[in-house]
Amino acid sequence: MKLLRRTLIVTAALVALGAQAAATVGQPAPDFTLKDTSGKTVRLSDFKGKHVVLEWTNPGCPFVRKHYDSGNMPATQKDATGQGVVWLSINSTEKASSDYLEPTRLTAWAQERKAAPTAVLMDEEGTVGKSYGARTTPHLYIVNPQGQLIYAGGIDSIPSARPADIEKATNYVKVGLAEALAGKPISAATTAPYGCSIKYKSPA
Amino acid sequence: MPSRLFHRLAATLFFIAASALWTSAIAQLGTKTTGQGTSVVTTPYVRAELLAHAPQGVAPGQPLWLGLQITHQPEWHTYWKNPGDSGLPTDLAWTLPAGLDAGEIAWPLPKKIPIGTLANYGYEGMVLLPVPVTVASTYAPGPLAKDATIKLRASWLVCRKECIPEEGEFTLQLPIQSTTALNGDAFEAAAKAQPRSVLAGTNGIVPDSQAQIADGNLLQVSVQGLPVALRGKTLDLFPETAEVIDNAAGWKQAWNGGVWTAQIPLSAQRSASPSLMPVVLAEQAAPGHGTGPDTRTGYRAELKVLGTWPQGASAAAVSPALEAALKANAAQAGSAATQATGSGASSLTLTAALLGALLGGLILNLMPCVFPVLAIKVVGFTQHAQDRRAHRISGMAYTAGVVLSFIALGALMLGLRAAGEAVGWGFQLQSPAVVASLAALFTLIALNLAGVFEFGHFLPSSVASLQARHPVADSFLTGVLAVAVASPCTAPFMGASMGLTATLPAPQALAVFAALGLGLALPYLAASWVPAVARALPRPGAWMDTFRKLMAFPMLATVVWLVWVLGQQTGIDGAGALLILLVGLSLVVWALSLAGRARVWMASVSIAAMALLVWAFAPHVTNVPAAQAAVPSTQMSSGTGWQPWAPGAADQIVASGRPVFVDFTAAWCVTCQYNKKTTLAHADVLADLQTKNVALLRADWTRRDPAITAALASLGRNGVPVYVFYRPGKPPVVLTEVLSVDEVRATIAQL
Repeated sequence: MKLLRRTLIVTAALVALGAQAAATVGQPAPDFTLKDTSGKTVRLSDFKGKHVVLEWTNPGCPFVRKHYDSGNMPATQKDATGQGVVWLSINSTEKASSDYLEPTRLTAWAQERKAAPTAVLMDEEGTVGKSYGARTTPHLYIVNPQGQLIYAGGIDSIPSARPADIEKATNYVKVGLAEALAGKPISAATTAPYGCSIKYKSPA
Repeated sequence: MPSRLFHRLAATLFFIAASALWTSAIAQLGTKTTGQGTSVVTTPYVRAELLAHAPQGVAPGQPLWLGLQITHQPEWHTYWKNPGDSGLPTDLAWTLPAGLDAGEIAWPLPKKIPIGTLANYGYEGMVLLPVPVTVASTYAPGPLAKDATIKLRASWLVCRKECIPEEGEFTLQLPIQSTTALNGDAFEAAAKAQPRSVLAGTNGIVPDSQAQIADGNLLQVSVQGLPVALRGKTLDLFPETAEVIDNAAGWKQAWNGGVWTAQIPLSAQRSASPSLMPVVLAEQAAPGHGTGPDTRTGYRAELKVLGTWPQGASAAAVSPALEAALKANAAQAGSAATQATGSGASSLTLTAALLGALLGGLILNLMPCVFPVLAIKVVGFTQHAQDRRAHRISGMAYTAGVVLSFIALGALMLGLRAAGEAVGWGFQLQSPAVVASLAALFTLIALNLAGVFEFGHFLPSSVASLQARHPVADSFLTGVLAVAVASPCTAPFMGASMGLTATLPAPQALAVFAALGLGLALPYLAASWVPAVARALPRPGAWMDTFRKLMAFPMLATVVWLVWVLGQQTGIDGAGALLILLVGLSLVVWALSLAGRARVWMASVSIAAMALLVWAFAPHVTNVPAAQAAVPSTQMSSGTGWQPWAPGAADQIVASGRPVFVDFTAAWCVTCQYNKKTTLAHADVLADLQTKNVALLRADWTRRDPAITAALASLGRNGVPVYVFYRPGKPPVVLTEVLSVDEVRATIAQL
């Protein structure tokens, strides 16, 4: 039974990937394989059985800096990983973009800000970003232990670049994870992401 | 380029002149404002200027417009009210003199700005974001005031590929008496760039524009009332509601006579589900964006959304759904009296809960574990049928015992809750120690009823004679006993009332428990106060001894059930250990009931044996195997497709479009077991569930499980049984505790 379900999920994920349809909340999250900043291969399906947060990031974007320089994103990451959640930061910025940082510089940038993701993944081709329909940095997703997408949207409820707004805003990821870990449905399962456009590689 | 240079030069000159003027004005009036005001902010990417248009000065009823004019560097843009896939709309925060009230930005027609696979809506070149200002009739500047001070704090996001968030503080002194019309042309141009409504046109016919949701991922848009000049042309569509359509996707459009139609894909991660979708339509801009003025005219249509938004995204609607379920529960708790409206709502719900609790208490009397105790007690009336005063006193004492015990139990539960424990009604039975103690108690009662021993034989004589000497204390203790044996049987109608106690302030919650106790005590109380009831009882005789012994069997049956419950909690070892302890207990009791030398010997031996048994087996009874917690074994045995409930499981299945039925149950809950073996095993019910492809989940609350307690709480309940249907896109349906086949089938039919 379990095996059958798992097979179905994997098949559905492959179909979703093949069709290039953007991921949908309530549906299986597209599986992917990417290299992290140290060159290690990371697969989403390796984390089956755990909640996984996907965070699209780009240090060149002021909205990303709002949440990193203020310590909000690192704190949210620590809070999540401390509860056994896997946090994958994904950079889909193309190599040609002025925002592009090589893995070592990206790691250094994150370390300076005491970021605490499980891994930082490089997606220069943008295929994973596009398969999730990621549009902005930051843009956040939560995948449940069964491999289904259960959240897609913004980091919080106040779309602005002002760090002062963080305190007043509802951190959708924190709230969503708390609900998911408590076995409750996520009350705001899709929200509006806000930030800079992802600097995707233009289709050849 | 020279034109922009000139523009910049002119602006700079204007800025210097203006600044000089204001400085002098401020100096003359002597009203120091904080900092030096400026109406222009220039950054490397934009030049932003606060403009005003007040041809008749600042006066009530006269036109007054303020606006922020943004001039972008080439390739840079700022955003429309719906920025599209990324970006932020420009935000204007005004500080105006009292009596002046700024409206919303009258957004001019935007451009669609594609960025790779994404698309934004915004402005390039020069744009004026005008804001209408109303001047109240109460607007009264001081007699010396010449100018109104307009302050604006604007924030905008300016992007090329990279994005820069910027902010500016603007100040403008607006002459109150004289004309400000320097920028009349700019405001006029902005007014022209306003989308106009697709008009009701001739004969006052309201154009019927709509968006039909098709295939779950497409909006079929049709717009009537567009001007003839647009017919046959390719149009751009700008949705005012963000996060609905896939902004960058290509889509088909066509003209069907005077009606424009289009098929627009929905965003896979749509977070808005509007019932009315205002959109702006305009002739598609020529490819290649220039900085020249946009001469197109936009038309605004409000599309009525037909059909239902596809699931998945509407998971965000869970909170209102829960609210609906909670309301349904509250209504269920009472009678028709729960037509609660307005301010009286909470007191009415409380009344309903009290009534429900009273009724539930009454029904408790008929439960197999309670009935024998009471039957014996009531029969006792016939022995002293004439002594009415004594009966009344004993009835009152019994009632006090019941009510106080319930209040104590309720207070204990509330206290544990306050201490952060996730407990619900029936929590007592989630502890194996309590179940084992109850089993011992019922064994003793059964042995007593069967005549194996009399309490008088081995209790100290002072206690033994309590019954005779203090009938009041005896009645009170019978009341306490009744509560102890009744607590496992969460009766019908009690669930909702008990659930309510979690949300009520403590005194009201305790009132609900008291009402429950009153209900349980009521029959006995009635028999003791109304002579007719007592007289209707059969005369005393030899039959009473037979009846008493007969009553031992339901007691033993209760013991069997409690052993089974313990088996659910601690496994076969625990149940076995409990049984051997019960045998030991019986031996001790029997030994104590002997007389003379036999008693001394037998009692010493049996007590020693019992001590050994307790030492050897008691740990087995209370030891809950940790690994077993995940496998509610017997609950799976029915083999009719029931899956164990897990946190979030129901939502995942519902999200995939399948309805879900959840049975919140526990081994110690009699009502649950009854429903499970009857209604939920009914062939018609099972067939209906299968036809509708309903997923079946069973949440076993036999042991403490905070996740299930939380799930119950989210349904407004506090104990089991709870039967609930979750349906895609609709609020969950909570069924009644006494589950009838008809009710379940009717609910399934509505899925």
